[in-house]
Amino acid sequence: MEQAVFNLSQIEVFQPASLKEALKILNDNRDAEIIANATDLWPRIMNGEVKPKKLVDISGLRSELSYVKREKGVIRIGALTTISELSEHQFVSEKRYRAFNDAIKLFGSPQIRNRATVGGNICAASSSEDLIPVFLAYDAKVKLASVDGERIVSLDKFVVGKRELSKRHNEMMTEVFFEEPDDGYSSVFYKIGRRNTLIINLVNLAVVGKVQDKRVVDIRIAANRVKGKIPERARKTEEFLKGRTLDEETIADAQRVFGEELSLSDDFRASAEYRKQVLKVLLKRGLNVLGV
Amino acid sequence: MKSLLIKMNVNGVDREVLVDPDDRLLDVLRDELNLKSVKEGCGTGDCGICTVLMDGKPVLSCIIPAFQANNHKIVTLEGLNSDPTMQKIQQSFRKYQAAQCGFCTPAMEVVGWHLLNTEKKVDKNRIKEAISGVLCRCTGYYDIVDAVYEVAQQ
Ligand code: FES
Ligand code: FES
Repeated sequence: MEQAVFNLSQIEVFQPASLKEALKILNDNRDAEIIANATDLWPRIMNGEVKPKKLVDISGLRSELSYVKREKGVIRIGALTTISELSEHQFVSEKRYRAFNDAIKLFGSPQIRNRATVGGNICAASSSEDLIPVFLAYDAKVKLASVDGERIVSLDKFVVGKRELSKRHNEMMTEVFFEEPDDGYSSVFYKIGRRNTLIINLVNLAVVGKVQDKRVVDIRIAANRVKGKIPERARKTEEFLKGRTLDEETIADAQRVFGEELSLSDDFRASAEYRKQVLKVLLKRGLNVLGV
Repeated sequence: MKSLLIKMNVNGVDREVLVDPDDRLLDVLRDELNLKSVKEGCGTGDCGICTVLMDGKPVLSCIIPAFQANNHKIVTLEGLNSDPTMQKIQQSFRKYQAAQCGFCTPAMEVVGWHLLNTEKKVDKNRIKEAISGVLCRCTGYYDIVDAVYEVAQQ
């Protein structure tokens, strides 16, 4: 046994007063982990799943990193914006952003929504993170900051595996943003689980698209399980649907294509077969929402 | 040796407490400040029994590292006991017998109080949503909803 007992009380905690200071600490400490409001990370530290030696606590950087901005056709959300704060912004009440509204209502519990952050949800990078498929369906990008400056990465290139982010050790995600779809778009988000609060999803599905005179002008479909254990876009199903007339036959065909595109796995919560069935039904519902 | 000094305002009083990196806000409130209305149920953010108000909003003290309470305002049931709305809520809980073991009661009362203090029009569905993050294994929830609803109508 290399490390018989991991002594939590030995963790070194940094509490930077500014983003600049935080980035400097990250740069100087290769082994440091970022901790935001900790709703996901803290329980995992407590049960020994994550064993950080150093923590950079960014929860004090709210004045720099908590915001929702809507300017020049782009929506920008600061990494430390809580789910409650996001829910209070007026944009989520519009039809084209209903997927956000749906996801927020089903997010954790009221207490969790008051703490959990948008950046934290993305960086937790697992299939229980409901905001990832929603942002994927809006073609979102993330901003990564480091002492060397900033760079932009598209979300699907950022969350690359379960608990796996494609970023350098000295980088911090500071913002997620996306171009506003025009107001002819509609969207919806579904989440299926065993209860109504604190749901661990068995499946979820985000659909964003534009249907004009029954014709699919644009469509983006994302789910927490398409191939692997992270949220992804269902690109084949999207391609199939684009340009087609949305009638019963097209929807049935799209369900078949979707079913073939999915490669799901069993776990103790649900079987792959069950997940596939439910996702196909949700796709149909979503397409019907877009069609009206 | 506890290594981190945190400052927080708890129930209106400024406090300085030395904490370990792995102390939770829950531990500090119960063990250092003797605020025993704050209970531990699951310890993993699932049951809501450890709910307190942080900067005026309900949060779970079992998944907040104590060091993150630095420079924040915390209110527990103890700090609300003499508040008129809280007193009405407590009388109403008695009237509706909204407790059996009472373990969830402090958390239920705190989230109920927060709802009545932040929203004007409160119906039963809003109450259900507001208490949805606190588990009760005894009452079946209806008595709790009725108890809060009666105060909401006053
Ligand atoms: S003890 Fe905190 S949520 Fe259960
Ligand atoms: S009264 Fe026993 S848990 Fe609610």
